[in-house]
Amino acid sequence: MRRSDLLLLMLAVIATPARADDLTIVSWGGAYETAQRQAVIAPFAAETGLDVDVVVYDGSWTALAERGVPEGWDVIDMLADQARVACAHGLLLKIDPNSLFAPASLADFTPFAPDRCAVPQNAYARVMAFDDRAFSGVKPTRIEDFFDTARFPGPRAVQRSPDGILEWALLAEGVPPEQIYGLLSTDRGLRLAFRKLDTIRDDIIWWQDAAAPAAMLADGRAVMAAGFNGRFFDVAQRGRAPIDIVWDGRIIGTEVWAIAADTDAPDAARAFVMHAANPDTMARLATQIPYGPTRRSAFDRIGINQDLSVPMRAHLPNAPQHPGRALVRESGWHANTEDLRQRRFRDWLAAED
Amino acid sequence: MTLETQSDTAPAPLRMLILTGIALTVGGAASMAAIALVDLVALLNTVLLVAPKARVQWESAPGLVAMMTILVPTLGGLIVGLIHRHLSSAGRPFGPPDVIEAVQFHKPLPDLRSGLVSTLTAALSLGTGASVGQYGPMVYLGAIFGGFAHRLRLGVPNLASIAVSCGVAAAISTAFNAPIAGVLFAHEVVLRHYATRAFVPVTVASVAGYVIANVIFERPALFRIEFPGVAHGYEFGFVALLGLAVALAAIVFMRLLLTIGPALARWIRWPEARTAMAGLAVGLTALVLPDVLGIGTSTLRFATIDGAFGLGELIVLIAAKIFLTALCIGAGFSGGAFSPSLLIGSLIGVLFWTLASGLAGVPTSGAAIYAIGGMMAFASAVIGAPLTCILIVFELTRNYDVTIAAMVAVVFSNLVSHRAFGRSLFDVQLARRGIDFSLGRDRAHFAALKVVDFLQPHAVTVTEDDRPSDVAERLRAQGWREAFVLDPEGRLLGVFSPSAQDDPPRVAQGLAPARLVFDDETDLADAMERLRGFVGDAVPVVSGETGRYLGAVSEADLVSAWLDEGARLRKEENASI
Repeated sequence: MRRSDLLLLMLAVIATPARADDLTIVSWGGAYETAQRQAVIAPFAAETGLDVDVVVYDGSWTALAERGVPEGWDVIDMLADQARVACAHGLLLKIDPNSLFAPASLADFTPFAPDRCAVPQNAYARVMAFDDRAFSGVKPTRIEDFFDTARFPGPRAVQRSPDGILEWALLAEGVPPEQIYGLLSTDRGLRLAFRKLDTIRDDIIWWQDAAAPAAMLADGRAVMAAGFNGRFFDVAQRGRAPIDIVWDGRIIGTEVWAIAADTDAPDAARAFVMHAANPDTMARLATQIPYGPTRRSAFDRIGINQDLSVPMRAHLPNAPQHPGRALVRESGWHANTEDLRQRRFRDWLAAED
Repeated sequence: MTLETQSDTAPAPLRMLILTGIALTVGGAASMAAIALVDLVALLNTVLLVAPKARVQWESAPGLVAMMTILVPTLGGLIVGLIHRHLSSAGRPFGPPDVIEAVQFHKPLPDLRSGLVSTLTAALSLGTGASVGQYGPMVYLGAIFGGFAHRLRLGVPNLASIAVSCGVAAAISTAFNAPIAGVLFAHEVVLRHYATRAFVPVTVASVAGYVIANVIFERPALFRIEFPGVAHGYEFGFVALLGLAVALAAIVFMRLLLTIGPALARWIRWPEARTAMAGLAVGLTALVLPDVLGIGTSTLRFATIDGAFGLGELIVLIAAKIFLTALCIGAGFSGGAFSPSLLIGSLIGVLFWTLASGLAGVPTSGAAIYAIGGMMAFASAVIGAPLTCILIVFELTRNYDVTIAAMVAVVFSNLVSHRAFGRSLFDVQLARRGIDFSLGRDRAHFAALKVVDFLQPHAVTVTEDDRPSDVAERLRAQGWREAFVLDPEGRLLGVFSPSAQDDPPRVAQGLAPARLVFDDETDLADAMERLRGFVGDAVPVVSGETGRYLGAVSEADLVSAWLDEGARLRKEENASI
């Protein structure tokens, strides 16, 4: 879609009589939501004059199924694989990328272009971080250290989900990144991953809210944590907490915007997604919180965060200078193995000995 | 098999250019073809639910997965068998032995169509999960590109053989990301000499393959491993023992492979039914033991993780993989024995480690070193290329400690397998076709020359009733001292040499048995052995089947042939450019 078309669409949206709650946007809360409000949502509301409401959820597609209609959700910020599952369940509105974007714009997207339900908006990483105060001498530098309670004792904050931690368990067994998902596809691979997880079972503190791991490190409840790089950055920079990120074993995922199938404002929702998918908007978001843009042309526009005086490009998950191993989430695989991994994870949780 | 007739050779600088150009072209093409083959197989594995990553995504439909597990290899076998029968003139897949034969005897490869059919069926076999390897087909595919040079007349002696070796080296270099191993494989297995004229282009091709795989396509290394080092000195003794144990298993595997093919051919008449049956066996086994499907990259990786397999599980898996691989290759699936060898060897290594560290409680440096040692020891016994295998470990792991440990396992394995079985599976397969490299390359070449090709047109034959004086007259005219006496059916009765004084009235009375008789199967190497102590000017050659006299060869001709062939080999093996 050309810029002029976008303007027309926006005019059309503005022309329709405004009601309270013109658009309900669903996101993850915390520092991430704050950054989104500043970089994406507020400029959109100012430009269109729409009344935008933000709702927080836990990122699962089941939440959309349960709360979507009663709470009038319109646009949802989702993990790419969750969006795939939701799309397959008919919970998302079909969009036609070819009518929304010009071919050049479609080619500008990375790592993948918009599909029939979702438009990529940023790249985040699930990383390991540690409390610097907990280790006065040698610091953890690699994923193996997350499972090494002898050298690095103390509680570890881990999401109560099979996401990420199984990958790390096999990385710590010496499996190279390109083989992780192949091995996790076998019964033997899952068994080995849970065997590795057994070694830290007693040291795990579970979290469910994405803001929790950074908070747990900051207040000393955990010495190491698995979480999202932007949250750790935020607490370390704004909260002046002694948190350092270990980039080895980072799992890079893609966050997308999707529109609920039952939205009552499809035009406004589309206009918002178009606005969010603009390289300028993406760059603006990346200067607020270090989540990388999903359009190549946006990379060059990322500068210094004005509040913190921190150059942001170096903190993006896909910044080239990060050392160690990197894994790219395979959304198709994650979507299709969701049930299996959840089941095995619950069994493992239940098998407390 | 004739001497090469390259009368007009190009000037040296031009030869250098031609060889480098051919090496780059063949190396590049072979490398890209190898990548394409790997990608095609990966695609088929995903679509046909052979790859674990594809299977797990249909986990919610176990019936579908089970049905595909059984149907895919079975139908794959059926199709492979049908294609071989109807589209290939040879009716069988090709592999490294065919390449060795062509290169050694400067023959063209089997016809292009059959070669391409063999590649296609390899992709199908691997794609549908048959328990065969990908490197044999890759080597053959690389050789096909080199084989085109056979049609070129560019004034470079042995150009085609060198070009084929270039294709082979590039294929191995691409497959393993191991350019040094590619060079060594081409020399150790295919060329079997180290002439500079071949060494340089083969190296160029191998590096071209590496550049394409690594720099242009950025393929990940096949097998990456981090290894801290060998912790205990006695572990080198362990890997030597492991080498010996692995050799025994490799011998069992190779003997089984060689027996199963002919046995199946006797039991099952239709070739496509044999492959379909082997595929069915793989599918049924995979229902309970999915690790046997296909190349088994994940299983190979698990082998390096301590405690990934239980003891019983290991034994069952090793036995199943040995049997199914022998069955699949024997039944006529298109594919090599190398990658299954890697898998079986590594599992035996893990078994060894489990017994040593788990049961006997000896401290060790972990399963990985035994897995890699066993892997290479098995593979080296099968392909008969110890140097290549050692170098592959080095290039794959870039780890000096692992390489040294693997080297020990490799040599001890080769020691046993060479003594008890033969230098390699390829060499034994070739020996069964009458090409025996067990006493060296020169011996094989002499053995390939048949004395029947050196018959003297003017040897004198007579019947029993001829008069000795007439015979003497004819012998004088031809310059021979002995005549060969034949019966009315043309069978050799003996020799007759007229003496100056008292000739008998009939040839029959002066008939002497021939001291030395060759038949149409006698080769030059054999003939030269038997000529030791022979006095006379010619040796009669008879048909081994009917006993009929075919002609005679002169000792002088055989000696010349021997010297010519020896000189040609020396020239080939020591050529500079």
